[in-house]
Amino acid sequence: MKERVEILVSGFGGQGVVRLGQIVGLGAVHQGFRVTMLKSHGTEQRGGYVRTQVVLSKQEIDSPLVEDPDYFCALSSAAYKQFGHLVTHGIILYDPSFVQVDESRDIKQIAVPATDTAVEKLGRPIYANIIMLGALTKVADFFDKENMLKTMLSVVPKFHEENRQAFEIGYNMV
Amino acid sequence: MKRYLETGNFAITQGAIIAGCRGFFGYPITPATEIAEAMSRLLPQVGGYYVQTEDETAAMHLAVGAALGGMKTMTATSGPGYILYADPYGWAIGCEIPLVVLNSQRVGPVSGITGAPGQGEFYLTRYPTQGGNFETIVLAPNSAQEAFFLTVEAFYLSERFRTPVTILADQLITDGWEDISIPETDEEKEAMGLRFAERKVHPGPEFYPPTDEIDLPPVVLGHNTGALCSDWTPTEEGYDIETVEAQHKHAYRLIYKIRNHMDLISRYETLFLDDDPEIIAVSFGTPSRVVKTAVKKAREKGVKVGMVRPITLWPFPDDLFNKKAIYLSVELNYDGQLVREVQRAAPCDSEVHFFGKCGELPTVAELHDLFDKLLKGEPLKRQGWETEAW
Repeated sequence: MKERVEILVSGFGGQGVVRLGQIVGLGAVHQGFRVTMLKSHGTEQRGGYVRTQVVLSKQEIDSPLVEDPDYFCALSSAAYKQFGHLVTHGIILYDPSFVQVDESRDIKQIAVPATDTAVEKLGRPIYANIIMLGALTKVADFFDKENMLKTMLSVVPKFHEENRQAFEIGYNMV
Repeated sequence: MKRYLETGNFAITQGAIIAGCRGFFGYPITPATEIAEAMSRLLPQVGGYYVQTEDETAAMHLAVGAALGGMKTMTATSGPGYILYADPYGWAIGCEIPLVVLNSQRVGPVSGITGAPGQGEFYLTRYPTQGGNFETIVLAPNSAQEAFFLTVEAFYLSERFRTPVTILADQLITDGWEDISIPETDEEKEAMGLRFAERKVHPGPEFYPPTDEIDLPPVVLGHNTGALCSDWTPTEEGYDIETVEAQHKHAYRLIYKIRNHMDLISRYETLFLDDDPEIIAVSFGTPSRVVKTAVKKAREKGVKVGMVRPITLWPFPDDLFNKKAIYLSVELNYDGQLVREVQRAAPCDSEVHFFGKCGELPTVAELHDLFDKLLKGEPLKRQGWETEAW
């Protein structure tokens, strides 16, 4: 893997954007990475915009800014429009329930129908972020699957069985 | 060593507890609220006290009062609270009371924006109270791990110098998440370079000697030492007196006990200074991390650029600016504060420039563009007023 990996997650409030970033970051810490994670959001509890910037490296991390993401999880149309152009060589994972991608771009863009699948298979949209986590864990192949699953279960407070299923669904979706 | 993915607020709290802080007095404010929250949980577990006050003025008064009672104390706030510390901060300076104050800067002026970083209190921390005739110690971390380290260091310096020490952080440090290593054993603490100083009690009767000496125990009330503490000019025994001679001696001590021991206080980070830098980028706090990446990447392309990051902001490290160069001060404010000190300290034939943003960090791309312009002698034009909100 690269010396420095940049991951961007963005969507609207209530989608679990910060939680997703936190699990990815903590999972990386458990794998021995140095990690920085910046979050920015509006003052709303739901709605508004949320962005998490995670940087991983085996070395000390200087800039915590994600300026050219290796992985971008786009969970809303606004997020895709705002940050999609930052991706020059990385991979975009997007939720097609909210995001219509620009097909003309010469980068890898993978549809992860997290929200629809969460509703269909688990009955509630709140598991969408964990489906996305599963997909990201598969695509970013330096992540250890078992470690990430364990980390996720240590962070989410309840509904462990549903979250475990959501993770597996996401992992096998891409 | 225990590793966490946690916020700077968590790191600061851990540092304070390890340094022996047993009293926290505060009024919650974004982006330092989690310090108050964590202290309210942790302090009772180690025999300490947490008091939430009605406002910041009361918080600082209580922190100073408890320190005067012999306890290691701390308070934490952001700019709008720090300004309310002004009056009791003066007491702590004048009566030489050790304690630690954390200011996590957000966007100003006044209440500004809560959840975004700023650097508007560079000068305010140098002049946190009225009257002049004193020197201050201010430390500026640029990561959660360094915030942990400097919190421990702030307690150490406050005891040795008998003075309040301010840790000047920013919203991205306190609210940002990062991997943090917290030492558990004495060996681990030593390996990390942590320094500790216990609270002692001045036996009297000369509580305020007219010297630049450090390591004098502070005035602690309640020990039958005859200790006195007041906001007037003190005699050596601590009685009020209004003579210019006594005031001169007092001021001399408050200024030179710090200025004459810079070797104990000064911390900084530099990059490529011995490699003929044409440009020297100067910054502190979180922006310095982006500056560091930008400087390293520019060097890879052969651009002759270096970096200075003062960690001890006050007393200002003039000696770091003795090279002739094109200086570029990068700050999270639009008015330019650090740049004024750079201008004062740099050799007269140096150029000094300023690049300010607020509420968001400069990017590596922006900094590279600035380096190019500076080397070509082009003016640094404002980019406009775009923000990341949409």
